[in-house]
Amino acid sequence: MSVVNHTPLTKTTHWKVVIPFYGYGAIALLVSTVLLLLSANNLLNHYFSPGNLAITHLMALGWGTMMILGASHQLIPVLIESELYSIKLAMLTFLLAGIGIPLLVVGFYEFNMGAPAKWGGRLILISVIVYLYNLFKSIKNSRKENIHALFLFTATAWLLVTSTLGLMLIYNFSFPLFQKNSVDYLPLHAHVGIVGWFLLTIIGVGSKLIPMFLISKYFNSNLLWRIYGLINTGLILFVLLFLYSESLLYLFIPVVCIFSGIVLFVIYCYKAYKQRIKLKVDEPMKISLVAILLNLFPVLFLIIIIVHATFTNTVSFSVVMGYGFVIFFGWITAIIFGMTFKTLPFIVWNKVFQYKNQITVTINPKDLYSKLIYKWMIFFYWTGFSIFLIGLLMNNVLLISCGAGLLVIAALFYGWNIIRIILFKAPLDEYNNQ
Amino acid sequence: MNIITNNNAMCSFAIDVLRSVEDPEIGLNIIDLGLVYQIDFDEESKKIFCTMTLTTQFCPMGESILNTVKLSLEKFFSDFTAEVYLTFEPSWNSDRISEMGRIFLNRK
Repeated sequence: MSVVNHTPLTKTTHWKVVIPFYGYGAIALLVSTVLLLLSANNLLNHYFSPGNLAITHLMALGWGTMMILGASHQLIPVLIESELYSIKLAMLTFLLAGIGIPLLVVGFYEFNMGAPAKWGGRLILISVIVYLYNLFKSIKNSRKENIHALFLFTATAWLLVTSTLGLMLIYNFSFPLFQKNSVDYLPLHAHVGIVGWFLLTIIGVGSKLIPMFLISKYFNSNLLWRIYGLINTGLILFVLLFLYSESLLYLFIPVVCIFSGIVLFVIYCYKAYKQRIKLKVDEPMKISLVAILLNLFPVLFLIIIIVHATFTNTVSFSVVMGYGFVIFFGWITAIIFGMTFKTLPFIVWNKVFQYKNQITVTINPKDLYSKLIYKWMIFFYWTGFSIFLIGLLMNNVLLISCGAGLLVIAALFYGWNIIRIILFKAPLDEYNNQ
Repeated sequence: MNIITNNNAMCSFAIDVLRSVEDPEIGLNIIDLGLVYQIDFDEESKKIFCTMTLTTQFCPMGESILNTVKLSLEKFFSDFTAEVYLTFEPSWNSDRISEMGRIFLNRK
């Protein structure tokens, strides 16, 4: 063996940039679950109701997007193999989105598409542009091309499309920008966001992190390229068919493309799991892997919605609500729960112990959160999720309320652990040992 | 485990020292993981040159691990200063894990 080429170590993104996103996400999840509980009686009226709009956007932006933005600022060096271009731009992204999201949500909750919603939409759009520019410059400085960076960049481009369209839909209430009502364009806005932003990001980041955390040798660039092609082709076809086709049945073509992409990603994760070096899989990884499987669930709902709409010309609100619920409170929440406890403890551990001699440190990153609180969080989450979903499908308000209540408890437990991690300080004896 | 050295006697002490440095994610020490490639000693300039890798390039814990290797070596060999170099050629693969390391990782 000969050892050559000493490589300088790329610095990780500073914790000050990342932690605010995690804190914000935890608060947004709690507020979303409380709103879900308060709106339990009205959830089944119509998916385009002020409460549903507010909850969906708080979950999608305040919870899902802020957590992904936070994690991705930390993971960009890992994903693209280069440093983050600008910390100041990352902070600006947080500030703009952090102010924009509540404005938008309040606007929706009061169904006032005036100043608050418009300003919220504008700030979020600028925030996305700032993030996209920061990501572009970081990738440009990267030493080599890689598929994970491409996933993340394409996903952010789709997020830009989603937020631009979203802002235009808000304006469409006051000025006729489109031929139809804003409500008619909601499926387009929602799916570009869900598939383009969330799905591509989760696959791009997950395909790097899942083998890394499982200590697996598995990597298959060809398979990832196929997944990338299938999902983007499916999404572009969906946009074209939505705008130019009258028949709902044609929508099965993009659904098949995207579903195939998801199945291939499940296979990718399964192979990484089978080839792992460390047999024992920790709890956060277990829920992350379950979330990958949960990814298949919404497609089944979508097929039911399309078939039902094609043959009856009506939409079942409870199935549509179930579809949205499985995406935001199921798939996205489960994977964020798992990945939070695989990333945040390391960020804080690095902050506290980075320049200390590790042999005298007896605390590991996984010791920064309470396993007991985590277990209860998972218990309340799965119970609440299942009861709420059954309640939605059975049109049963009592079950919906019970499920929402349990989800509030799960969000409280999650927040409790997040606070424990963020506020963690090394015990005095750990310092005295240095 | 196959570590290149110019001083077998001192290297065996260094290996013992570095067995207490763990990869915090895996929970296994860096020697049994096979992360250390080379440890050379220059007794005239009182320097230790340690060349090692990480399980994955741009590992978020990399800076912490490298820093601990340096501090640990300097603590044991108190007359020496340590320089730790990172390399990814050759990159790490699981074949470098020692028998003891495999037993540890195969625990259910």
